[in-house]
Amino acid sequence: MEKTRANIARKTALVVHPDIEALTVFQGALKQNGIQTILARDLPTALLAITQHYFDVAIVSSRISDEGDGWALAGVLRMAFPQSHISVIAPQTGVLELKSAINHGISSIHEHSTSPEEVVTSALATSPAHVQ
Amino acid sequence: MPLRPRVLVVDDETSVARTLRMILESDGYRAITAHSCAEAVELFGNSHRFDVVITDLNMEQPNIGLNVAQAALKLKNRPVVIICTGFADTENLQAAMKMQVDYVVTKPADVPELLQAIRRLLAMRKATGA
Repeated sequence: MEKTRANIARKTALVVHPDIEALTVFQGALKQNGIQTILARDLPTALLAITQHYFDVAIVSSRISDEGDGWALAGVLRMAFPQSHISVIAPQTGVLELKSAINHGISSIHEHSTSPEEVVTSALATSPAHVQ
Repeated sequence: MPLRPRVLVVDDETSVARTLRMILESDGYRAITAHSCAEAVELFGNSHRFDVVITDLNMEQPNIGLNVAQAALKLKNRPVVIICTGFADTENLQAAMKMQVDYVVTKPADVPELLQAIRRLLAMRKATGA
């Protein structure tokens, strides 16, 4: 019974990134924080996951198969999960990226050079009400 | 008949504020204008309720539109907050993102994009009850 309760209370994250190594590192960092993680390397898998889970946290690369398609996915995630923390990883965080982030309702934006551990720590720290 | 959404347009350039007001009114909104941060904040304090606040950034001081946005975001009935600026930079956009501004439009504003964003954000607000 306790195990079932723990599973129900467990938070879930979605990580969408074309690079399998990056996915593995993100999964490790999220697991260390007690977050169950669903991984996707492409848009169809990510969209399927969105229909089947509630995500408290999502970390999305700005490029999945084409440059910029991650922004649209992040916007869909915001519409599907209005209270969740949505992070985007982009090549840079200039004016255009920040504008995209605001207009897609993104919670935080990180450069590719940011370590996955740092992205996860930032995501969990900035949404304490939703991810414990 | 439901009340038309009420929009506050804040811009120190009278012609810009007036043009935006006319565009919004022709799209079915009730729109009023303010020409400074101080004027906008005074309206917030006078129990006016706004569904949308569109503010310029550089008015009586550089980036003072962020103060308008912050004051609007603190209102009990939080309106949709949109920044409309010709002077976006990483510093003011990071500040806008941190305070959870809903949308940024760069001048010269793409009117169909702006109207579509307002419709979408209001619909989302209604759907989520936020």
